[in-house]
Amino acid sequence: MRASINRPPTPEPEDDREHQPTFQESINIKLIESGEKERLKELLRERLIECGWKDEMKALCRAYVRKKGRNNVSVDDLVQVITPKGRASVPDSVKAELLQRIRSFLGSTAI
Amino acid sequence: MSSNFHHPNLPFTSQIFPPSCPHLADFRSRNGSKSFRLLQDCLRVKPPGGRAAIRRDPNEVPRCSSCGDSARPRLYACVTCAAVSCHAPPSHSHAAAHAESMPTGHEIAVDVDRAELFCCACRDQVYDRDFDAAVVLAQTTASTLGGNAVSSSGVSPSQPSLPPENLRKRRRVDYQPWMPDLRERVLVGANSSPLDCVNSNLGSESELPWGLRGLNNLGNTCFMNSVLQALLHTPPLRNFFLSDRHNRYFCQRNVNGSNVSSNVNDGNGSKNSRICLACDLDAMFSAVFSGDRTPYSPAKFLFSWWQHAANLASYEQQDAHEFFISILEGIHEKVDKDRRKPYSQGNGDCCIAHRVFSGILRSDVMCMACGFTSTTYDPCVDISLDLEPNLGGSAKMAAARSNLPCNGEADCMNSSQNQRLSSLVGCLDQFTRPEKLGSDQKFFCQQCQVRQESLKQMSIRKLPLVSCFHIKRFEHSSVRKMSRKVDRYLQFPFSLDMAPYLSSSILRSRFGNRIFPFDGDELDGCNEMSSEFELFAVITHKGKLDAGHYVTYLRLSNQWYKCDDAWITQVNENIVRAAQGYMMFYVQKMLYYKASEKQSAS
Repeated sequence: MRASINRPPTPEPEDDREHQPTFQESINIKLIESGEKERLKELLRERLIECGWKDEMKALCRAYVRKKGRNNVSVDDLVQVITPKGRASVPDSVKAELLQRIRSFLGSTAI
Repeated sequence: MSSNFHHPNLPFTSQIFPPSCPHLADFRSRNGSKSFRLLQDCLRVKPPGGRAAIRRDPNEVPRCSSCGDSARPRLYACVTCAAVSCHAPPSHSHAAAHAESMPTGHEIAVDVDRAELFCCACRDQVYDRDFDAAVVLAQTTASTLGGNAVSSSGVSPSQPSLPPENLRKRRRVDYQPWMPDLRERVLVGANSSPLDCVNSNLGSESELPWGLRGLNNLGNTCFMNSVLQALLHTPPLRNFFLSDRHNRYFCQRNVNGSNVSSNVNDGNGSKNSRICLACDLDAMFSAVFSGDRTPYSPAKFLFSWWQHAANLASYEQQDAHEFFISILEGIHEKVDKDRRKPYSQGNGDCCIAHRVFSGILRSDVMCMACGFTSTTYDPCVDISLDLEPNLGGSAKMAAARSNLPCNGEADCMNSSQNQRLSSLVGCLDQFTRPEKLGSDQKFFCQQCQVRQESLKQMSIRKLPLVSCFHIKRFEHSSVRKMSRKVDRYLQFPFSLDMAPYLSSSILRSRFGNRIFPFDGDELDGCNEMSSEFELFAVITHKGKLDAGHYVTYLRLSNQWYKCDDAWITQVNENIVRAAQGYMMFYVQKMLYYKASEKQSAS
């Protein structure tokens, strides 16, 4: 991971100017830089464990692996199969809480 | 199964190794183990017990070098050239494209947010022992940085905290075949009377398994009968007493008891020192396994127990769990005084009660400010579990779930969860789940030297031979100054795998998916085998807090029997499943056969 190994060339400055960060992207960077994203992730993890979502996903993964046989499953397969179900079953209350947190963060940093 | 492929002395015998990917093997052979050493400088750990991530400098915002996206959930850094690419199958994978576009050697990448290895060619997670060791080390040093008082740091792979001494000892009661020699055969023949003649008189009842005998209720003593039935059919306990390992005629305690002078020296008073609950249990085993099927009155035992636990001596109803604890204590105490051994409960070899029932719980308390973890080990003879919180607390969540469309087998699992059936497994999950200690119970952190908010997690360090689970059905509210019984139904499995609740599993999940020996792993190669348990007794409670009835269900030779005081009846297993369990007794599977198999194989 050091310069000694063939690192791809650092992007030219003009490349950067071409690429205007979208609004969503700049929010994302703000969230990362302030450390808020990490805190939000932690909060989300906690909420998803509390409400049983994580156990539910674990059970789904287990069922899928059992069905396919444990040597015929890759992480990509699992992600692809489970993600839509996982997204759909996040409780609304958890979504609302996170949205509220993000909103208040944006309000306080005033982008 | 894994033991077939790995040398038994390797510390990893209990783990199953995922098959190694050829690309990872190539990478390792080309770069040696040093290849990952460069990555170590990029490991960043967010202090309070955080996860490991890969960042070249702490504030870097990693983005895909192809599309510039930084919000993708899966970003991988090539371990050869450090190029960061996203991976979002099935739409596109710049990580896979990167591996293809480069000459060979760029297949292995590391997940920047999880610090886990990934092979872009195989498109699957790969595992490397050296890399995982480095990550675990980084995580633990982050949580103990600058701490001079690392007296009981949780997991420090470099300097493993000393495990309790008893873990080094045998965890099993080993199967020892015995055949009487000529002299013993003569002695046995001369001093015993065969039971067969008694048995042949029984007629129709002889189909009941040996040792199944009703116990008369001596006045609200169903709490005692229910526990005794479970103890009488606890396989290791039964084998111990039936093989004459504690003989009431030769018991030291009884001999001392009759010796007046020693009583005076004992300072216990003659009455008290004469009691030996193990002797009374021995007498009861003899009576119950005599072949006589008429209900037995455990009056002598009750009297001894009254003397042992004077505060509970009355004709009132008692708590079966309290009685169970009290008996085990009684059996232990006797040995303790006799042999003058130090009181060390978790030390399984002090007495038969603890050899059978005692396990060790591990509790980790992690400071939320600095991540310092303090670990304590506590011996236990049973595990008391809270019933899962009722629907009331999580109604909104249940409502959100019921919106799920139902299709396929996996969704049927959902629908059963929708009804929020409490289960023993659920209780155990809850028991081992990290719990945030509220601001009212802040924990003193040795590193910060102040009270801090903290995270507590329980796990099982050492499994007992027989696991007794006690369900807290009796609630005491100090606020309302009242007690009540919770009648909620609890599902319990007939076979139970305790592996997920072992300290090693709990720690492993805390560090992500790593191949690394965690607490307990290295001590016993057959962890996996012995974490399987089988239900053999259930004590149920019917009725209210102050007026109810205990009944025990026993499984003997794969058939269930209901022991309701003096009455024993054969029952269908569905009746057992439907019963309101209060205490469940599970015994380790393969306990005896494993040893006997080994013998026949060699």
